[in-house]
Amino acid sequence: MVDSCFRCGAELGTPPALCASCGAVQPFRADLSLFAVAGLPETYDLDVQALRTQVLALQKGLHPDRFANAAPAARRYSLEWSTRLNEALAILRDPLRRADYLLQRQGVDALGEQVKVADPELLMTQMMYRERLEDLVAARNLSGMEVLRQEVDTAMTGVVQRLKGLLGGLPCVEPEAAGAALRELQFLDKLLGEIGRSEESSQNV
Amino acid sequence: MALMQIAEPGMAAEPHQRRLAIGIDLGTTHSLVASVLSAVPTVMRDHEGKYLLPSVVRYLGGGDIHVGYPAAAAAGQDPHNTIASVKRLMGRGHGDVQTLAGHLPYDLVPGEGMVRLRTVAGEKSPVEVSAEILRVLKERAVETLGGEPEGVVITVPAYFDEAQRQATKDAARLAGLNVLRLLAEPTAAAVAYGLDKGSEGIFAIYDLGGGTFDISILRLQAGVFEVLATAGDSALGGDDMDHALAEWLMQGEGGDASDPFWRRQVLQQARTAKEALSAVDETMIMLTPSGRAPHAVKLSRGRLESLIQPVIQRSLPACRRALRDAGLKLTDIDGVVLVGGATRVPAVRAMVEAFFQRVPLTDIDPDQVVAMGAAIQADALVGNQREDLLLMDVLPLSLGLETMGGLVEKIIPRNTPIPVARAQEFTTFKDGQTAMSIHVLQGERDLVQDCRSLARFSLRGIPPMVAGAARIRVTFQVDADGLLAVRAEETGTGVRSEVVVKPSYGLNDEEIARMLQDSFTHGAEDVARRRLSEARVEGERVREALRTALAADADLLDTAERETLDKVGAALINALSGDDTDVITAAAEAVETAAEPLVQRRMDSALRRAIAGRSIDDLGD
Repeated sequence: MVDSCFRCGAELGTPPALCASCGAVQPFRADLSLFAVAGLPETYDLDVQALRTQVLALQKGLHPDRFANAAPAARRYSLEWSTRLNEALAILRDPLRRADYLLQRQGVDALGEQVKVADPELLMTQMMYRERLEDLVAARNLSGMEVLRQEVDTAMTGVVQRLKGLLGGLPCVEPEAAGAALRELQFLDKLLGEIGRSEESSQNV
Repeated sequence: MALMQIAEPGMAAEPHQRRLAIGIDLGTTHSLVASVLSAVPTVMRDHEGKYLLPSVVRYLGGGDIHVGYPAAAAAGQDPHNTIASVKRLMGRGHGDVQTLAGHLPYDLVPGEGMVRLRTVAGEKSPVEVSAEILRVLKERAVETLGGEPEGVVITVPAYFDEAQRQATKDAARLAGLNVLRLLAEPTAAAVAYGLDKGSEGIFAIYDLGGGTFDISILRLQAGVFEVLATAGDSALGGDDMDHALAEWLMQGEGGDASDPFWRRQVLQQARTAKEALSAVDETMIMLTPSGRAPHAVKLSRGRLESLIQPVIQRSLPACRRALRDAGLKLTDIDGVVLVGGATRVPAVRAMVEAFFQRVPLTDIDPDQVVAMGAAIQADALVGNQREDLLLMDVLPLSLGLETMGGLVEKIIPRNTPIPVARAQEFTTFKDGQTAMSIHVLQGERDLVQDCRSLARFSLRGIPPMVAGAARIRVTFQVDADGLLAVRAEETGTGVRSEVVVKPSYGLNDEEIARMLQDSFTHGAEDVARRRLSEARVEGERVREALRTALAADADLLDTAERETLDKVGAALINALSGDDTDVITAAAEAVETAAEPLVQRRMDSALRRAIAGRSIDDLGD
């Protein structure tokens, strides 16, 4: 189905936000996925640079600054589109949140509170990593933290590669495996944040 | 024969085709005005050739007003009527500037709305004071350009909130200026360096002024400048270097450190020496301690640098924080721009270069660069050249809600690009709870008392349900101007309530910086307090559950069981009045263990009642 402009009836492109023919900002479409709002195909293996370029190009036309003197309805549509574009960029550019979003789209809540982390191997790895970080913090060992950070970084790249495989075809046919990978990625992501904070506070002392 | 046309000095070559536009850097200590003349952004000077206008306004009797150097010179003798640093008061309420009031010699008028100052010329708002500064800059522009400017771009700090931006716009209107756009100061500096014309990239703008330090990380891509993160220290600047040197000089000289005349003399000489040492390696400082002969002290650049090193180092934590907030590594930075007079000090440049591992851009006078960027943007907006840039702003401070136990649940973290909308689900705490109080807060700390209250409102008409069954969805929407709307809705029934608030209304720069600083230094303390608070919430929940259960079904217990429960219940109440996290947790667990038989019997009896009800229905059929 092709959308048409609510004002002049011309065909709209993707996303159906601005009419190329008469320039009218279209009523916001809450039913569109984050991918559709950004005018991109739904896929996990996403070029983040291309996503950013695309979203910013759309923001240039849809940002409320462009409708400062427009009618209230147009200002509201612009706000809604612009808000949703910021959300799309924030979620889709992050490999963790992007995977979570895709799984949620097929009804899988892999990071929800109800999910029990049952993988004993992951629990062991978590404990070992945390103990290492605690020791490094106690020793104010900045170069050791850097080594750990690179290790975690590499591990994350590995998990993202695995997710690319698991989420290669959508909907995902192995949601349990994807969910487990997602939880592993979430743990590594949190650990990376902690390493960053530890490095910062060790430097600032 | 056609007459030859000669353009007036200072005017554009084609006066009838060019539209006049100006850019103004309305600063805390001084202000400037610039315009694009013959394609070159140029800062305009006064009759004496000075381009800086001290941001000081003095009200005299009889309606006279002095602005700039003469006003600054009178600050010591006429402090009540001489207003300096008015930028710190813009968009602020009376209550907000109480913390500042101790440092400001002004006579603040109590009342609602924006703070007002009592002067010999009557009560003045910061907007009016700022308008006087803008009027002088406008006159300077009209004289230089030979006509009224069509529009102006005024710069504001990246973290200025809507109230502060609105106050700045109001001041411009009062001065008879048409504001085309308010522009973030770091973005203006980036535009002045032509970074918007060049390749895409990520830039750090290091702005060390007289009394404030700001670091901003910007990203340029596809003609959009995004502020990725801002951080800073509103009590760090070139003045601190002067003070460090002055302290050293006074220690060496002896003399009465409490003598204000002596202090002022040493401070003045310290500033002069610091400025001289930006160009030469050694300078002489002339000092005249009271009752002694004048004499000279030799100061080398090396000595100065060792004295001011601690001051300069204080800017690094904010740089690291900004990088982390932006999710970037040092190697991601493509360029560093220096802004602010204090960045002329070679030791500052050296430290910036060492930290960011690249030579900073310093070609443009760091005092002028912001005004020049504003002039370029103004020129573009009146239609003289190039495509308009888009600036994506971010939230200066996190927004959150109060949850049980005086804790703050962050809904939108600081430095999130706006506009933005976020939702979070909450639930009821008590059985049959029909209303919920929504308390909107701003700040980085974990506890309500350490954050700023923005608004309170209630969601009423929630249908009575057991604790934890209601689903209250609270949505925050921040628009591109930084205005916040909060909506609460019980998703099962559609009961809703909403309020519009201005984030950070009434917050001053110091408070923003202090709140950021506090969250940083009090992290560990907050964790302990958060644990205690969470234990209290759990303890209260258990106590409430026990009370409800006993009130309804005490008859299910025998005397011994009842006694045990009363005993552990009393112990829990006792523990809750203290502040030992572990004691509270243990007492709550003891109650839960002791109450297990009661819980079991209540469920059995509820089940029996349900079955009994069913059988009566069956009989009725």
